Amino acid sequence: MARSDEEYDYLFKVVLIGDSGVGKSNLLSRFTRNEFCLESKSTIGVEFATRTLEVEGRTVKAQIWDTAGQERYRAITSAYYRGALGALLVYDVTKPTTFDNVGRWLKELRDHADANIVTTLIGNKTDLKHLRAVASEDARTYAEKEGLSFVETSALESINVDKAFHTILAEIYRIISKKSLSSSADAAAAATLKEGKTITVAAPHPNAKDGKPCCSS
Amino acid sequence: MEKKRLDDHEAATISSPRSLDRFGFLVRPDASTSDGLVKSRSAQFERIREDRRVRKWRKMIGVGGSDWKHYLRKKPHVVKRRIRKGIPDCLRGLVWQLISGSRDLLLMNPGVYEQLVIYETSASELDIIRDISRTFPSHVFFQQRHGPGQRSLYNVLKAYSVFDRDVGYVQGMGFLAGLLLLYMSEEDAFWLLVALLKGAVHAPMEGLYLTGLPLVQQYLFQFEHLVQEHLPKLGEHFAQEMINPSMYASQWFITVFSYSFPFHLALRIWDVFLFEGVKIVFKVGLALLKYCHDDLVKLPFEKLIHALKNFPQDAMNPDILLPLAYSIKISRRLEELRQEYEKKNGKITQSREFTEEQTVQRL
Repeated sequence: MARSDEEYDYLFKVVLIGDSGVGKSNLLSRFTRNEFCLESKSTIGVEFATRTLEVEGRTVKAQIWDTAGQERYRAITSAYYRGALGALLVYDVTKPTTFDNVGRWLKELRDHADANIVTTLIGNKTDLKHLRAVASEDARTYAEKEGLSFVETSALESINVDKAFHTILAEIYRIISKKSLSSSADAAAAATLKEGKTITVAAPHPNAKDGKPCCSS
Repeated sequence: MEKKRLDDHEAATISSPRSLDRFGFLVRPDASTSDGLVKSRSAQFERIREDRRVRKWRKMIGVGGSDWKHYLRKKPHVVKRRIRKGIPDCLRGLVWQLISGSRDLLLMNPGVYEQLVIYETSASELDIIRDISRTFPSHVFFQQRHGPGQRSLYNVLKAYSVFDRDVGYVQGMGFLAGLLLLYMSEEDAFWLLVALLKGAVHAPMEGLYLTGLPLVQQYLFQFEHLVQEHLPKLGEHFAQEMINPSMYASQWFITVFSYSFPFHLALRIWDVFLFEGVKIVFKVGLALLKYCHDDLVKLPFEKLIHALKNFPQDAMNPDILLPLAYSIKISRRLEELRQEYEKKNGKITQSREFTEEQTVQRL
């Protein structure tokens, strides 16, 4: 089967989650299109974007699903956790409740996502310095306790956004490559070996013949 | 070029430095240039045709809607045909209230809205405030922080969240309320929202917003089957590429096309939606897929998702899309699929049985 016009070695599916209004959609548009929209609409349902980049010398395509943050939407959005290798869990550094809810989002992941999903905690909106209400140290301590990586970002000022995505993609890459070295059977369980040397690691890819669709309603 | 600059200059000195389309949405500078000149030629013809239509409509509804019910009983097919051609913009607000049954609710419940807005408190207040500036952010009425548009939007949503605490406030409702507020007062918009969600004329749609979003799930189930049956080749392609309707059609149902579709198209869909019910949302969805069918079947997963969220301009032309939608017959199958879904998943329970007496009693 023909490869799509873009060549890549790996395809990683990542979900963006977190409370409503923390800036998930703008993190995504900053990362994939280098755009930021001050007058953005709230996300209804799910949105999707991709970006291909170099990670540890390999070409990785990040396939990112941006989800509506309001609790009631989890009825639709949680289906998208399935098959995701990474989750960017975003809170707003100026709104303590969005940080307090991080625990509930982690539970959502435990309930609906694959057990070994790589999760990065992101404190967004650091540009609003005078309004900061969640200290970096508190978040870092929490992230360490939960075994998450942690990055603070500003989608508005384009600070650390690439770093946040790089961090999670590199971490996923390390796990995948370790797996495929140690046991090809293991790798096959987590990834679908494509023709050539490409490993696809996401359900909703045309060439992934087996497995269920990543989401069903 | 010279002419254009002059026009811009005049517009700037008279009112706002930013240009708006005829519905009050900000126009991106790049989107308005050559297009306007081409359109002006047929504008006069359009105006004459529109005047004739308005006269016909005025006769049909009578003063303040006094003849409406009579006319509707006598000539329902004429009403249906005229609505499908589009309600004149200057009468839209009134007609929407007549066809949705909201006018009757308003008259039967005097003072209720005011009480909900002023005296009651809602658990959703902060959620609503958070989304106010994220609802139609490019419309002049809703742009000003704490301006009249944002205040009305807040009031309507808060009132509804108190009126039905099981639904409360859910993202997406703001687009419904916002669209209505461009055509009617706060109180009228509130009762129209009630008419829709509680089912004054058609089946209630509150299940779109109740916990678990049960009606969204049912609609997506129905839509997926309709795609497979009406557009088998595309349905097959979707299955192969692992595309399911929750990826592209949830917004269509949750906001009745008001979230991201061109406003003039959304209005035309709403005309029919309020009169004929949610069926038109399915039909328009199928019509879009049908119109773009030959392109869509060729696209791989990622491009397919993109295409399903960004339909080309010509597909969005209401005078092409809507006739195509009307030609798709789904009523019987839609009902069968609903029963099938209910058999599998159980009946969607409503938050509260709705009768007019109860509305009055409760408040």
